[in-house]
Amino acid sequence: MDAATLILVLVIVTALAFDFTNGFHDTGNAMATSIATGALRPKVAVALSAVLNLVGAFLSVEVALTVTNAVVNLQNSDGAPRAELLAGGGENLLLIVLAGLVGGIVWNLFTWLYGLPSSSSHALLGGLVGSTLAGLGVSGVNWTGDGTKLDGVVGKILLPALISPAIAIAVAAVGTWLVFRITSGVADRYRQRGFRWGQIGSASLVSLAHGTNDAQKTMGVMTLALIAAGQWTDLEAIPLWVKVSAAAAIALGTYLGGWRIIRTLGKGLIEISPAQGMAAESSSAAVILSSSHLGFALSTTHVATGSILGSGVGRPGAQVRWSVAGRMVAAWAITLPSAGLVGALMYVVGNALGGALGGIVVFLVLAGLAGWMYHRSRQAPINAHNVNEEWDGGARPQRSRKNVH
Amino acid sequence: MHNIEFALEGALQVLLVGLVLGAGMPAVFALGIRAMAYGAGGDAEVQQAPPHPVGRLLAGLCFAVVVAGVALGITVVVAGGFGKEVVFDPVLPTLVDEG
Repeated sequence: MDAATLILVLVIVTALAFDFTNGFHDTGNAMATSIATGALRPKVAVALSAVLNLVGAFLSVEVALTVTNAVVNLQNSDGAPRAELLAGGGENLLLIVLAGLVGGIVWNLFTWLYGLPSSSSHALLGGLVGSTLAGLGVSGVNWTGDGTKLDGVVGKILLPALISPAIAIAVAAVGTWLVFRITSGVADRYRQRGFRWGQIGSASLVSLAHGTNDAQKTMGVMTLALIAAGQWTDLEAIPLWVKVSAAAAIALGTYLGGWRIIRTLGKGLIEISPAQGMAAESSSAAVILSSSHLGFALSTTHVATGSILGSGVGRPGAQVRWSVAGRMVAAWAITLPSAGLVGALMYVVGNALGGALGGIVVFLVLAGLAGWMYHRSRQAPINAHNVNEEWDGGARPQRSRKNVH
Repeated sequence: MHNIEFALEGALQVLLVGLVLGAGMPAVFALGIRAMAYGAGGDAEVQQAPPHPVGRLLAGLCFAVVVAGVALGITVVVAGGFGKEVVFDPVLPTLVDEG
C-alpha cells in the first residue's frame, strides 16, 4: 500500500467517525424536548430518531459532491478536485481533508463533553478552513464568494449563525404564545396528553430533515477523497458503499444519544412542557425545511436551540436560563476558529512528518484526544437514566440515584 | 457586501414561511385540542362544561390540516432527494423537476 492509499483509508475511517459524532451531537436537536417532557422514553426517542436519520440519509440521493466549495477552494465547480492538488497521488489534498475532519471531530467531542450543543457542520467546515489555510494559504479559503450568491465563510457560516437563532426564537415564541392562548380553557392533563402526540410528530420531522441534510456532507467529503486518490471518477454519483456506511454511521451515532447535550437542551434552558415542546419542534422543522428548500442552509443546532429558547420566551411566566444560553452562544462563536485551529495544527504536523507517517500520526493524535475526552466523560456520566434529573446549574449532574443502588 | 443582502433576503423568506408553518401548524393543532376538549366536556375543560359533539368534528378538521402540513413537509424532503422540488402553483403544491 502506498502512502496516498493509506491516507485515503484513514480519511474514510475518520470521515465515518465524524459522521458518528455528528449523529450523537445532534440527537438532542430533535429529541431533547420529547425526552424532557416524558412524551417518549429516552431509549425509544433515540431509537426513533436513529431510524428516521437512516431513512433520511438514504432519501438524500442528490449528489453533495461540492460540499467543501462553500468555504474552501479544493474543488472545481463540477466537484472534481483541483488538478494542481493532485500531485503525488493526491496526498496533499487527502492530508488537508484528514486534518480538517480531525478538527471537526475534536471540537464535536469537546463540546459534547461540556454538554454544549454546537453546530457539527460548522465544526467540519471550520476544520477544513483551518487545514486549508495551513496547506494552501489565505487564497485557498473562500471567504466571501464571488458576490452572485450567498457563499463563502461569511455567507455560509457567519451570517446564517447570526440570523438563524433569531428566526427560530421568533417563530417558536409566536407558536408557543398562540398555543397557550388557544388552549387556555382546556384542563391541564387533557392538554398535556394531546400535545405529547404533536411533539412526537414534529420531532420526527426534525430527525428526518437532519438525516437528509447532514449525512450528505460526509458522503460528499468521502467521495472527494476517493476521487483525489483516483479510486472513483464519476462526478454525478456517490458510491453505494459510501452512502450505506455514512447513513449507518450517523444512525448509530444518533442511537448512542448525546445524553450530555440532550440534558442541556431539554432541562438546562427552560422547564419545558409538551405544548412548548411541540411548538419548538414545529418551529425547528419549518425553519430547517424552508431554509434548505430556499438554498439558505442553516445549522440544525442553532435552529433547534433558538426554538427551545423561543418556546420559553413565548410562554407567559416561563423562566429562561439565559446564562446557559449565553454559554452556548459563546461556544458557537468560537466553533469556527477552534475547529480551524485544530485542523491547521494537524495539517502542520502531518505535513512536517510527511507521507504515510504524517497521516498515521494525525490519526493517532485524534484517537488519543478522543480517548482522553471519553475518559473525562466517564467521571460524571450522563445517560438515559439520569438525563432528566433536576437541573443543578451545571452540565454535569451528580450520579443518578438509580445508578448508585 | 452582497452576502448581507442575500442573507437578509433569505432570512425574511424563511421567517415568513416559518411563521406560517412553524407557528401556524402548532396553532391549528392547538385549535384541534381545544375543539376536542369542547367535544369531550367535563374533566377536559377547566369550566367542566357539558360535551358538545360538534367539537369532535372541528377537531378532526384541524388535525387533518396538520397532517396535510406534515405530509407537505415530508414531500419537500423526499422530493429534494430525487431532484424534484415542490412549487406552489399558485396555491396548490405541485412536484416539478428541480431547475
